[in-house]
Order: sequence, then C-alpha cells, then structure tokens
Amino acid sequence: METDVVVIGGGPAGLAAAAIASQQQVDVTIFERARELGGILPQCIHNGFGNFIFNKMLTGPEYAQHYIDLVKKLKIHIKTDTTVLKITKDKQIIATNSKDGLFKIKTKSIILAMGCRERTRSQILLPGSRPAGIYTAGTTQRLINVDGIMLGSKIVILGSGDVGLIMARRFILEGAEVKGVFEILPHPGGLTRNIVQCLEDFDIPLNLCHTITEIHGKKRVTGVTVAEIDRSTFNPKKGTEFFIPCDTLVIAVGLIPENELSKQVNISMGPNTGGPVVDNNMQTSEAGVFACGNVVHVHDLVDDVTISSELAGKAAAEYVKNQIKEGALKSIHPGKNVFYVVPQHIRCDLKSSVTLYFRVKNIMKNAEIKLTEKNYIVAQKKERIVKPPEIVKIDILPEEANKIKQSVEVSVEGELF
Amino acid sequence: MKDSKIKRELIKSFKKHRLENISIKLNEKIVFLEGTIDSYEKYIIAGHLAGRNSIIRGVVNNISYPEKKKTQKKKGKDEFIGSADVVIVGGGITGCSIARELSKYKLKIVIIEKDEDVSCGATKANNAMVHSGIGEEPGTLKQKLCVQGHFLFEKLSKQLSVPYRQCGMLIVITKDSLEDLKLPSFLSNFLAKYVIPYIILRRGKKIKVPLEKISRMKILEIEPQLTDRTILGISSPTYGVTSPYEFCIALAENAVENGVDIRLNTEVVGIELEENRIRNVITTEGKIRTGWVINAAGVNADEIAEVAKDRFYTIHPRKGSTLLFDKSNAGYISHNLSFFQFPMKEHTKGGGAMVTTHGNIQWGPTAIEIPDKDDLSVSKDEIYDIFEKYSRLLPNFSKKSIIAYFAGIRSATFTEDFIIEASKKIKGLIHVAGIQSPGIAASPAIAMMVADILKNEGLTLTDNPKFEPLRKNHLIIRELDFEKRKKIIEKNPLYGRIVCRCEEVTEGEIVDAIHSNIPAKSLDAIKRRTRAGMGRCQAGFCLPRVAKILSRETGKPIEKIMKNSKESQLFIGKSKCLLEETDGD
Ligand SMILES: Cc1cc2nc3c(=O)[nH]c(=O)nc-3n(C[C@H](O)[C@H](O)[C@H](O)COP(=O)(O)OP(=O)(O)OC[C@H]3O[C@@H](n4cnc5c(N)ncnc54)[C@H](O)[C@@H]3O)c2cc1C
Ligand SMILES: Cc1cc2nc3c(=O)[nH]c(=O)nc-3n(C[C@H](O)[C@H](O)[C@H](O)COP(=O)(O)OP(=O)(O)OC[C@H]3O[C@@H](n4cnc5c(N)ncnc54)[C@H](O)[C@@H]3O)c2cc1C
Repeated sequence: METDVVVIGGGPAGLAAAAIASQQQVDVTIFERARELGGILPQCIHNGFGNFIFNKMLTGPEYAQHYIDLVKKLKIHIKTDTTVLKITKDKQIIATNSKDGLFKIKTKSIILAMGCRERTRSQILLPGSRPAGIYTAGTTQRLINVDGIMLGSKIVILGSGDVGLIMARRFILEGAEVKGVFEILPHPGGLTRNIVQCLEDFDIPLNLCHTITEIHGKKRVTGVTVAEIDRSTFNPKKGTEFFIPCDTLVIAVGLIPENELSKQVNISMGPNTGGPVVDNNMQTSEAGVFACGNVVHVHDLVDDVTISSELAGKAAAEYVKNQIKEGALKSIHPGKNVFYVVPQHIRCDLKSSVTLYFRVKNIMKNAEIKLTEKNYIVAQKKERIVKPPEIVKIDILPEEANKIKQSVEVSVEGELF
Repeated sequence: MKDSKIKRELIKSFKKHRLENISIKLNEKIVFLEGTIDSYEKYIIAGHLAGRNSIIRGVVNNISYPEKKKTQKKKGKDEFIGSADVVIVGGGITGCSIARELSKYKLKIVIIEKDEDVSCGATKANNAMVHSGIGEEPGTLKQKLCVQGHFLFEKLSKQLSVPYRQCGMLIVITKDSLEDLKLPSFLSNFLAKYVIPYIILRRGKKIKVPLEKISRMKILEIEPQLTDRTILGISSPTYGVTSPYEFCIALAENAVENGVDIRLNTEVVGIELEENRIRNVITTEGKIRTGWVINAAGVNADEIAEVAKDRFYTIHPRKGSTLLFDKSNAGYISHNLSFFQFPMKEHTKGGGAMVTTHGNIQWGPTAIEIPDKDDLSVSKDEIYDIFEKYSRLLPNFSKKSIIAYFAGIRSATFTEDFIIEASKKIKGLIHVAGIQSPGIAASPAIAMMVADILKNEGLTLTDNPKFEPLRKNHLIIRELDFEKRKKIIEKNPLYGRIVCRCEEVTEGEIVDAIHSNIPAKSLDAIKRRTRAGMGRCQAGFCLPRVAKILSRETGKPIEKIMKNSKESQLFIGKSKCLLEETDGD
C-alpha cells in the first residue's frame, strides 16, 4: 500500500490537515484509533467551539461534524478503529485494526495529530490508597457523555483546568453532588468563561491554594483529606487539613501531548511544550514529518487547532509535490515571562504573516508583548490581561520576518497580578 | 537452653528497654506476650526482642496497643461444598507453587482464596526480584530456600511461559555507603574497598552463590548512569527478575490444567478438628472435608493457625512501597542495583533500582511496620524517601517519568524467618507462614519442602502420570512478528483491535483472559494477565473499553463490574440514574 500523506489522528487537527492536503490533489489517508472521527470533540457536548471560525458557539460534536462531512466529501481514505503502532525511519506506517488486520503503508509525508493524554494522579505524586473511584476528568467525560455510564454520586475535583470545570457542571446536571474544585495554584487553570459558567452559576466552591494530601478508601474511595498550600513552599500547611467524604475523585491536572510515535522518528521535542519543535509550516525537525493540534502543545481553543493544522496540511501537500519553500531557518525563543512559544522556528522568504502562539508564566495586567532581535522590535502589542491558561498570540508581518537575522525572543512586561 | 533461662534473659532485656507490665510466658520455645503498651512501635520492639534468640520457635504477641482494632469474625456456612485430600489456604505465590508441585501427584487439591483472583496479596505488590540469597541473614531457612529456589526459576519460567530475565545484581558501594558511621575518610575508604567486599564474597562462598568484585571502572562501564561517587561493586550474576503476579497466575493455571480446583471469593473462617486431627475446613461458602490443610494465608496465617488451635506466631504486617517509571527509560540501567548501606536498616535487604520484565524501571521498596493488615496506602514521605535513596545511585534519572506507585505487605513474624513445618499439635496441619521477602525467589523450593513434609507426615504421594509441566500458551500479540501477527488477526479479528494503547493490548487478549481457566472477572485481574491499564496513562484510555468488554462477555450489567474485590464498584449505573432516584422521592 502507498499514499502521499498519512494523517495519524482523526481529531480536529487531523481532519483539518487532511482536508486541506487533499484539496491540493495529493492522496491522503487518515488513521484514527477510535471508532468515530472527531478526537475528543464527540465527548465535549458543551458549547463553546468555533466562536472564531464560525462566529457562533457550537458544541464539540457539531464542530467536529463540519470537518467530518468535509473530509468525507473529499477523496480521502479514512481508517477508523485503526491504531498506528509504528513509524519507521523510511516513512512506513504499521497499523492494525480488526478489518484489514496488521498492515504496512508507505508514505511520502506524515502528519502527526495524535492529540494528548491526561496526567494521572501518579504524575502529581498524590498520596494514599488506590481504590476504585479515581478517574481522570477526560475519562469521566467520555464515560458519561459517550458511554452513558455514571460513576459516582459525591464528587471531589482536583485541578481547575477546563476539563475539570466542565465536568463539575456535568456532574451536577447528572444529579451528583460536587463537593468542590481544589486547585493548588493561586489562580484557576481554566478559561475564565468556564469558571463563571461551570462553577459560579452552579454554586460549586472553587478552593484555590488547596490540594489533596491523602486519598482514603480500600475498595472504593471513601473520602479525601484536603489541606491549604503555603504559597512560598508549595507544601501543605500543618493544621489546615480537613476530611471530605466522597465516593469519586476526579483528577483534572492537565494534559500531556501524546508523542510516543513521534519519538520513534527521532524528531526534536520542545522542552516546555511536550511536543515536537515545529517551524511556521508545522514541519518538525524531520523533513516531511509535520505535526499539528494538541500533539504540538496543549490548545485551549479548537479554532487555533484548526487554523494551525491547515498550515500543516497545506505544507505536507507541497512537500509531496516538491514545492515546499525551504528558506533559512530562524529561531524564536521564549523570553521574559514566557513559558513557551510555537512555532519555535520560522523559515524566511515568507509571503504572508506568521502567528506565534505562546503561554505566559504569570497573570499580568496591562501587558506589553514584544518580539525582539537584540534591540530591534520585530513586532509588539498590548493586552489588558494575560493568564497562563489562555494562549496569547502575536503576528509577524512577512517583511519583518524576512529581516530576522538569527533569532528573536518573545517577552512580556506588565503588572504582576 | 531451657525455657526458664530464656525467660529470665527476656525479662532482663525488656527491663532494659523499659517495656513494663508485660507478662512473658514460655512454653516449648514459644514466647507468649500479654499486657498493654502505649504505642505500636513498642509493641513491635517487644515482639522482636522476644524473637531475637534463634532458639525461639515463635512469638505470640498479644500485647494491646492504642490503635489495636478488634477484627470482626466472618461467619461460615454449614453445608458441605466438597471434599479434598489437601486444602491449601491462600492463592498467593506460596499456595499456588505448592498446588502446582502437589499436582504432580494423584491428589485431590483445592486452593481456597478469599479474593476475586489469585495473586492478590503480597504476590501482586513486591519488587519481583529473584534474589540469589546473598542478602539474607546467614543460617536462616529463608536464605537456604532462596538459594535453592532462585536456581530453579529459569526452567520453571520456561515451562510456564512467564517472562524471566537473569539480569544479575550489582551491590554498589559508594562514598555515601558508610556515612552513618561517621568515620574518618581514610578508614571508611579502607572498609569500603577491602573489608566489606571481603565479607560479602566470603558469605557467597559459604552458600555457594557465585559473586564477583567489580572495580569502579568496570562498573561504570556496564552501568554508566551510576553515580560518580561509586567506589566499587559486587556482582551477583545469578540474580534475576520475574513478573510475580504472572508467575503466580501461571502456576495456578498450570495447576488447574493438572486437576487442581480453585475456589475464589471464598474465605476460610474456621477449621473443625477431631481428636487433634484436621476434619473439615469451614469457609464463607460452606464446609470442605479434608485431612490436610496447608496454611499459606500470608498476612492472615496467624489467624488460620489460631482457628486450627495451633497458633505459635503472630504476623506483624510490614508495608513496602515501590515506584514505577515509564518504559521510555528502557536501557537506562540493565542490572538490579542495590545501594549498599551500613549499618543496614533493620529487617530489609534494602531493595534496589531495577528493570521489570516489561521494561519499566522500578525503585523501592520502603519498610514500615503498620498495625493494619490491609493498609496499602503510599505516603508522600515514602515517595520522597525512595527518590532520595536511589538518586544517590542514579543522580541524573528523571523522576518525572513516574507512572505509578503501590504498596505491598510483608507477612513478617517476630522471629523474622519463614515458618514451614508440620504442626506439632494438630495432625494434618502444615504451616507455611512468615513468608516475607524472599518469598518469590524461594517459592519453588518452598513448594518442594512442603511436599516432603507431607510425605514425612504420612500422606501417600503417587505420581500423576498425566502431569503436564507446560502451561497452555497464551497469545501476546505485541510480541509476535509481523507475519505471525497478521495471520492470527486473520483468524480472529479481535486481535487486530487495540484496547490498551500504552501497552498495546488487543481486544482478543482481553477476551482470552476473561475466558481463561481461572477467569479474570475484574479490571485488575484482566490487567495482571494482559497488562491493559499498566502503562503510562494508567487506564485512562482503556478503562471504559475494558469494562464494557467485561460486561459484554460475562453478561453482567456495567454497575456490577468491579475494579478488584467485591465492594470495589467502578460505576453506579447509567447516566441520569441519580436523577431517576430523586424523581421517585
Ligand atoms: C474537556 C475539554 C473541553 C474543551 N472545551 C473547548 C471549548 O469549549 N472550545 C474550544 O474551542 N476548545 C475546547 N477544547 C480544546 C480542543 O477541543 C482541543 O484542543 C482539540 O480537540 C485538540 O484537537 P487534536 O486533534 O489535536 O486532538 P484530539 O481531539 O485529541 O484528537 C487526536 C486523535 O488522534 C487519535 N490518535 C492518537 N494516537 C493515535 C494512533 N497511534 N493511531 C491512530 N489514532 C490515534 C486519537 O484517538 C484522537 O482521536 C476542549 C478540550 C477538552 C478536553
Ligand atoms: C514491598 C515488598 C517487596 C518484596 N520484594 C520481594 C522481592 O523482590 N523478591 C522476593 O522474593 N520477595 C519479595 N517480597 C516478598 C514476597 O512478595 C512474598 O514473600 C510473597 O508474595 C508471599 O506470597 P504468599 O503467597 O505467601 O502471600 P500472599 O501473596 O499474601 O498470599 C496469601 C493469600 O492468602 C489469602 N488469604 C488470606 N487469608 C485467607 C483466608 N482466611 N481464606 C482464604 N484466603 C486467604 C490472601 O487473600 C492472599 O491471596 C516482597 C514483599 C513486599 C511486600
């Protein structure tokens, strides 16, 4: 079997990339290990998707359906219920499913769009026993929304990322009691609109600077011990511990880009993104291998996923047709108050502007964002407020980008919150 | 030595340790302690003092301490549910090894296990090391059986088709090994370089376990990630690593193939005697008529001894926690590495850093005396203690790659050795108690020893001509080469669908486990057999899928699917079920 572009992952990233690539007249094959396309969107039955691209608030399944319909109209080979097991150095893909069995496919270009997985209780060293009733937030979301299975009746949520917030509301709507959301940091991890719509509107207490110090229960969770955090040492404060009886603990402590396959082709990974280093074409350090969506870094908004994945799809098709522009490689570094920036490289000789996506380290008011090379300002903008959970964007005009000599730095100055 | 003399010495040493108001009784080299004490720590000290003299057969420690809980006795059922020549209490590695060994003879054997699967006690949560015996106290039964047992592992693992790797152990002596002695550096250097290796090598010679001194240069060459503070190492090349729960399940499955019966979810609550002879075993499901009982009940062995009216030891649970790291660290180290420390912490061999048979790096365990026999919690302190200890060996290792931690309970007696013997009071009762570490490594030898004891006690052992030592093979799809895997999927498409992404487990393998000869009926039982849920996402992905497959294959509604034992319900029902409940009010 042969194809021009293999897209691994049929979530919003893979779908957008596949559609664009196919429209450039190359042969595209999508592999998706779930039985349905759409990635995590089919389980996100709340609305809040597509505000930017469609100018209206769609639900996850609605948003996904738009791209599923598009992909199905095009001449794209779609293999769902199919897991990619291996990528070889010479761009062969080994995959398996129950229809075609185990098979190999040779391709000219690969788009990595595997999304991410959730951090578990072990990764945050949560002490205590290991009974039934401890779930990651995304798993609870899938269980309730897709599988129609209810997990418990008294819920404690650890972590205030978006998935945790959305699930807090979801549990209330299912008739469960949500005892509270506990967040170790002094600020919430999710989007402000989710704090308002999911917690405040339902009177669910959000406890900042709190963490769980012990999980109780031998067979099923019977409760958790919670304590306040000392803001300077990040250790629980002695004497502040209290017990909350519950039967379910939902862990919503973040996502990790799923890059086990990417590592097989030895591409370089970004230190703070958890995903491959990419250029403005979303090309990784390995020629012909592209990456987009949550596999590159964790996105808060699906619109950004779609937009950057279209870049990947377009570039992959150009690569296949030998038309890709390989200008000189310039690097972009995170500077003051910036945790990471994507893409990490740009190839000069640009015709259109490039959007940089970055995450700040702290909440800041009246933030001044600057993109500089030594003392030269390549781009700048102001934001009223910037927060770690919300991606910040800045555009570079092509004429400015082409002037970059070696590398630029993104930095943010402002009033600490 | 006479009992009276031992007693006098004991009273003296209790006084010295300020353990007051404790009555000490001695009878045929068995110490009975009674009284009240103000802390669990002192309870442990008292027990250990009483058991220190190697002439003591056992210590029954009935001293009360503040946290002491009254255990509720479960009720047995009266009707007969069967009969057997031999009843084995406990389906851990000890019970299953014995069952498999005895299945070589024409006997009707039943294993009674209180949990929903075999291998649910210490056997599922330990360090998996097949010790060579060099770390055990010289002259103990556990050392003798460990040395014998570990030599048998390779062959047994092949017969049972369980992974086994003879990776060898390196005992690493570093500049930190002797720091607690606070000696001048020239002296500790001299001890580390010459005296300690000499002592260890001499021990090896005595028990006929090969050992070799490895220079700093050589050890850093074979384990380049070891700390620069390494002085030298001692290699014990016959050390290995097994997968203990898979080994135990394989033993049990092979035993079943050879006619052994296993009753899960059945707890032994009593034993009926007739003129000091075993008559019936009483369980929560009914009575079993038998003449022989093998007490391999792990942490509850003392309670079984009690109901059989021959309690001469108390088990004090010693918890050990272990950390597991992601497979992406493959190749970081290749041997079991143990950090030599002197003086040693009491009653542990100190554990190690090692690679499991599935390629995860494992660090641990800790050793903590706890009053609660089923407290499997892992504390933050334990995690950090392990981090600190092994960072001394492997300072650059990324601890962020941790994927799981778990605790197991060692069934220690106060004499701190295995107790494997026929009861001196009750005919037909065999104690296999105090099987703490190295209970895995020693298991093949323990089983042989028990068979010998039975024979000496008068049980006729006639060879079972149909005995089949090879376990029926299970398919492990990820291990097949491309062509074989392709063919198998053509025959059964379920082997083509991946259910656990981290460990690459297919639906076909999960279905196989559910319908195997010891059917996996809980999520954890499936996990132990297939590895589904053992990877880096810790079942986040496969849990809903495996639960649904289990529900489909067993015909049980989803809310009856358990994580492990009876009350470990995973789900409460369909979504909206809570709203339906409140609607009714
Ligand atoms: C709870 C939640 C709420 C959110 N709310 C909003 C919101 O309100 N508005 C908004 O705009 N955004 C929201 N987002 C963010 C947005 O949905 C995600 O950023 C986006 O879905 C990421 O898309 P992706 O395609 O990169 O990853 P995914 O959607 O995760 O898709 C990756 C796909 O790759 C497949 N895959 C992985 N490995 C393999 C393999 N080896 N072989 C085959 N297939 C593979 C996976 O099965 C998966 O289907 C939310 C996200 C979550 C989790
Ligand atoms: C942290 C730790 C690390 C260790 N590391 C190693 C190592 O590296 N190498 C090594 O060789 N050894 C090691 N050990 C020791 C080893 O794990 C044990 O010696 C071994 O597993 C004991 O097996 P067992 O069958 O005797 O006990 P268990 O596995 O505990 O089995 C006893 C069984 O009896 C059942 N049972 C109890 N009461 C009843 C009843 N009334 N009725 C019915 N059933 C009952 C229990 O449910 C249980 O399944 C370690 C132990 C721990 C805790």
